[in-house]
Amino acid sequence: MTEQEKLSRRRFLQAGGAVLAGNAVGVAAPASASEASDSLPQTAPALQKLLRRAAVPAARGARVVVVGGGWSGLTLAKYLRRFNPAFDVILIDKQSAFVSFPVSNAWLADQVDLDFLSHSFFDAANNHGYHFMQATVLGFDRDSRRVYTEAGYVDYDYLVLAPGIEYDYPRIGVEDSEARNLLFHRYPGGFVTSSELLTIKHKIQRFRGGTFVLTVPSGEYRCTAAPYERACMVAAVFKRQRVRAKILLLDMNTDIKIKQAGFKRAFEQLYGDYIEYLPSSLISNVDIEGRRIETEFDEYDFDDAIIYPPVRTSSLIEEAGLADPHSPQKAAKTDPFRYHLVDDERVYVTGDSRSQPFSKGGHTAHSEAQYVAEVIAGHALGHDVQWRSPQTMCFSAVDIEPLRAMSIITYYKFNQQSGLFAFDRTHLIEKWDTQGGQASLAWAEGMYRDMFYV
Amino acid sequence: MKITCYSFITAIVFSLSTAATAVEPIRVVLEFVPDIDNGRRTFDICARCHLPEAWGNNDGTYPQLAGQHVNVLMKQLLDIRSGRRVIPSMQPFVQQRTIGGYQNISDVVAYISTLPMNPAHGRGPWPPESAEYREGGELYEQYCASCHGAAGEGNNELSYPRLQGQHYSYMSRQARLVRNNMRRVKPSMAALLAALSAEDFDKVLNYISYLPLPQADLAPSAAWRNPDFQ
Repeated sequence: MTEQEKLSRRRFLQAGGAVLAGNAVGVAAPASASEASDSLPQTAPALQKLLRRAAVPAARGARVVVVGGGWSGLTLAKYLRRFNPAFDVILIDKQSAFVSFPVSNAWLADQVDLDFLSHSFFDAANNHGYHFMQATVLGFDRDSRRVYTEAGYVDYDYLVLAPGIEYDYPRIGVEDSEARNLLFHRYPGGFVTSSELLTIKHKIQRFRGGTFVLTVPSGEYRCTAAPYERACMVAAVFKRQRVRAKILLLDMNTDIKIKQAGFKRAFEQLYGDYIEYLPSSLISNVDIEGRRIETEFDEYDFDDAIIYPPVRTSSLIEEAGLADPHSPQKAAKTDPFRYHLVDDERVYVTGDSRSQPFSKGGHTAHSEAQYVAEVIAGHALGHDVQWRSPQTMCFSAVDIEPLRAMSIITYYKFNQQSGLFAFDRTHLIEKWDTQGGQASLAWAEGMYRDMFYV
Repeated sequence: MKITCYSFITAIVFSLSTAATAVEPIRVVLEFVPDIDNGRRTFDICARCHLPEAWGNNDGTYPQLAGQHVNVLMKQLLDIRSGRRVIPSMQPFVQQRTIGGYQNISDVVAYISTLPMNPAHGRGPWPPESAEYREGGELYEQYCASCHGAAGEGNNELSYPRLQGQHYSYMSRQARLVRNNMRRVKPSMAALLAALSAEDFDKVLNYISYLPLPQADLAPSAAWRNPDFQ
């Protein structure tokens, strides 16, 4: 090997090593160049692994690869097979098990246990006749119709991207990647990974008093009512445990975004001593070590916090060069009625990474996914499917002992003149009651049943 | 009024002489004396979508319940409760933990049966003078009338739904669900949906949506509001 070859080989492997380290967030980078070169021989086979065909069964029909095992991906995988049994479906998710974010606020206040929220991807795949693959998707190539994962590549006939959201920390002034990671771990928002949920529950249970900050992001964030519901559940726990605490609910919006009257009434009537609601709190920075949150006009010291920043579409979309430059969420440019990329009827984007402004939440994703599965099956079988609106249904718990909740059901309609979607056929119930509370749990049971078992 | 509640229990009988297994369904019929007052209170949760008049929406988002046979309402409630008929947005409200037991379900069904029907329900796109309407009528005579009745009145004893007065868009949506393997119905009904083209089926549903209703079953006007919920 010549000196020149050695150098280029070393450069390539260093670049590869950086990619791998970047993927595994929290893994320390090699401390020095000599340490990096020592690890080169181990890196090479790791890189080769990425370029092998993944160990999944050979396709026995048109293959649909679904990226993301959330509410959208799970529902799609099931109904794709239902609408076209000839489809061979693979669902890919980086998590080993499913933990439900809907109803997790009730879990924070001990209204259900972790078993209620936890389900197995294996059960879903076994019961519905598709394959599950636990892997992180690294990217995809639309010319060769190939998805690359850390466990090798998979070829597709149709690709469904349902990778969900990521936190957009720069929008609250936290730009540096190290600071972002630290903020994510110290004061997680609780809307992306299950470790966040566990950490949040421990924070609440162990809180000994003082100021507890909760934030509501601006823009189209996941689960519109959840930050307000969470404030109620956290307050309910403090009240039950007789903790002397003040919850500062810093809302980046000018007012409560949904079930406004109901939440206002709950804040006043049930948690007047606990919740201080502060609208138009545009967060501009977080001093993580100093436990201080800065807004446009104020600063707040806190003892503990759950910081839910604005969100954006999974970076998988942007890295593939598909982010629409006009989209603040960095969503892909898709056909708003058929969900595929504007120039590619083989690639669909659904769930919370969709470009349409539908409410980001479990029920919406589930109802939408049934329709999109029908569209994809229709494409394969050669028949048209008429557009129909997704349905949004959302329960919000406001009180515990007994659990009481409000609810909303709505659809969407497309306004030809403005070219925008708006709410349609909305039924809002801002009166909270025990029937609503129990219905929220029954709703979740029905959804888990549909996605995992029957 | 008698409200019956069916539950199907499957008994498995093993024969010792052969390897064959005989499975016979046994129907258990439970009877309840409904309490209309409790039914009215229970209906509060239903009214949130089906509206206090139980008329649903003319756009078919929610069906009209008023005027439907009690046995049909009961069967659908129990099917949705058990998940046999999948409706994610209704399923939560008809569980033991929300609506309560069979007595409550019987009460609410009995209450719904006291409500007058919408005199201006959602109708199909082809009016009675159109060719599509006539074709729909012929198909109805041929395929539907023997079970659902010449006037679409249905049959309570046999749990055949009353079709008169149901919103066209609702029926059309249900037909699509059956075709897509999303709703299970009686084999004879499923066979009919498979035999007729989607267009022909829409014509039948259109015809049904114009079937006249007995004056006595109707509310005085579409502006009538249920006084129990004023």
